[in-house]
Amino acid sequence: MLDRPFDTIAQDLRSTFRPQREWVQRKGLLLLGAFFFSGIGAGGWLFSLYLDWNQGLLWSLGVVVVASGVAHLAFLGRPERFWRALSRPQTSWISRGIWGIGFFGLSAVLYLLMGADPWAEASILGRLWLVLSVAGAVWLLVYKGFVFAYCKGIPFWNTAVVPALFFATGLRGGASLVLLLAVAGPSGLELHPLEVAKLWLALSFGALLVFYLWATRESGVAARRSVQDLVRGRVSVAFYAGVIAVGLVLPLAWSAVGLYRAQPDSVWIVVALSSLVGDLYVTYAVAKAGICRPLAGDFRVPARTPAR
Amino acid sequence: MRYGMVIDLKRCVGCYGCQIACKAENGTPPGVLWARVLKLEYGEYPARRVSLPVLCMHCEDPPCEKACPTGATVKRPDGIVYVDTAKCIGCRYCMMACPYQSRYFNDKVREYFPGKGLTPYEKLKYKDHPVGVVTKCHFCRHRVDQGLDPACVANCMAKARYFGDLNDPDSEVSRLIRIRRGYQLHPDLGTDPSVYYLPP
Repeated sequence: MLDRPFDTIAQDLRSTFRPQREWVQRKGLLLLGAFFFSGIGAGGWLFSLYLDWNQGLLWSLGVVVVASGVAHLAFLGRPERFWRALSRPQTSWISRGIWGIGFFGLSAVLYLLMGADPWAEASILGRLWLVLSVAGAVWLLVYKGFVFAYCKGIPFWNTAVVPALFFATGLRGGASLVLLLAVAGPSGLELHPLEVAKLWLALSFGALLVFYLWATRESGVAARRSVQDLVRGRVSVAFYAGVIAVGLVLPLAWSAVGLYRAQPDSVWIVVALSSLVGDLYVTYAVAKAGICRPLAGDFRVPARTPAR
Repeated sequence: MRYGMVIDLKRCVGCYGCQIACKAENGTPPGVLWARVLKLEYGEYPARRVSLPVLCMHCEDPPCEKACPTGATVKRPDGIVYVDTAKCIGCRYCMMACPYQSRYFNDKVREYFPGKGLTPYEKLKYKDHPVGVVTKCHFCRHRVDQGLDPACVANCMAKARYFGDLNDPDSEVSRLIRIRRGYQLHPDLGTDPSVYYLPP
C-alpha cells in the first residue's frame, strides 16, 4: 500500500510501468463497489422481471439505488457536489452512468408503483415504465465497461472486450443475487431456469475472460504487462483465488452437479455467494491490473518525425 | 494562439530544477509533481542516458476534458488546459483518461513537516490545492497571463525549455520544431499534445 507520499514519488519517477492506484486504493475501492452493486442490481432486476418476482425487483432496485448510489457518493472527493456530474452526459461515461442510475431508479419505482403485470392485462403506462426500466438496467450493465474502455492511458482497459466482460459479469451477478434471495427467503420460485441460466452465464463469462486476456496481450507492452500481473504477478492471488476458484470453478462445479442431482438450499446459497464474490473480484482484478501507458517505455528518436 | 512548450533533450541535464521551480511557484503538496523528470536509457551498449522532463501535455484534443463529468477540466482558447477546482467532484476519471499521467488527486492535507502543522507558505499555497479534487499543471497560467514564461521555463538553468505560440510559424517554438524535427509523446493516440521534444 502506497500511503506515504515519498513512496508515490518513487513510483511517479519511474520511466517504465506505473500501476494505476486511484481506483484500487483506499476510497478508490468504493468505486469498484459501486460498479459491482450497479451491475448485480441491474442484472437482478432483469432476472426478477423474467421470473415475475416482485420481491426480487424491490431488492434489485435497492441494491442499485441505495448500495450503488451510496458507494458512488462515498467514493467522490467532494460528494456534496455530486449533482455536477449530471452536466456532461454528452462526453463523459461517468456522467452517463449517473444519469443511468437516476433513469433506472425512477422508471423502476414508477413501474413498481403502477403494479403492472408485464405479461398480462398490463396498462400502457405500466408497460412503458417496464420497457424504460429494462433499458435502464441494460444501460447500467454496460456503462461501467465503457467507463473503463474509454481510458486511453491504460491499454489493458482500452478495449472493446471490457464492456462485454462487465455485461456478462453483471448478468451473472444478477442471477446470483436473485438465486440467493430466492433460496434464503420463502419465494416459492421455480429455480431450475435460474440455475441453468447461471451456469450458461458462468461459462460465457469464462470464455470471455480467456478471450479478453488473449486479445489484450497483443495491445502493447503495458497491456501485456497487465496480463502478466494478472496471471503471475501482483494481482495473481486475487485473480486465481477470487475470480477463478471462488468465482468460477466452485459455482460451475456445483451448478453442474445440481443439474443432475437435487442439492440442498445451503449449497445454492454457497454457490450464489461465491459467484457474487467472484464478480466483485473480477472488477477488482481488472482495475488493479491496470497499468498506465509508459511515458518513456517505448522512447526512441523517431526516424521520420512529422514536422509542423 | 496556441501555447506550447518545446523541451530540448540535448540541453536538458536532468537537474530537477523544473520540478522544484514548479513546486516553489505553485506550492503543490508532497507527492504531487506537476512537472517531473524521468531518467531512462535507450539503445544498445553503451546505452545512452536521457532525462525526460514530463508535464501536462495540454493536448489539442484532451481526453481528460471529455472524461470529466462536471466540466471542471477546461481548455482555454489559447490551448491551456486547467482544472476548475470549484467544479471538480473528485471522481478521478480524468486521471484514468490521461495517457500522460499528469494529474494528481489531493486526498487529504499533507504537510511537508508531518506533525508540525502547515507552514505559512503551505497555508498560503494550499488555497489553490483544496482537498478532494484533482489538480494538474496549467502552464503557470497566472504567469502566462502576465506575459511571463511558466516557472519551469524561466528557471531552467540549461535553457532546455522554450514556450510560445505553436500557431505562429515564426515563433521560436515553431521554428525549433521545424528545424530540429520536434516530436510529441504518443502521437498515435490522436490527442495532439502541445509539448514537443527535440531529439537528444
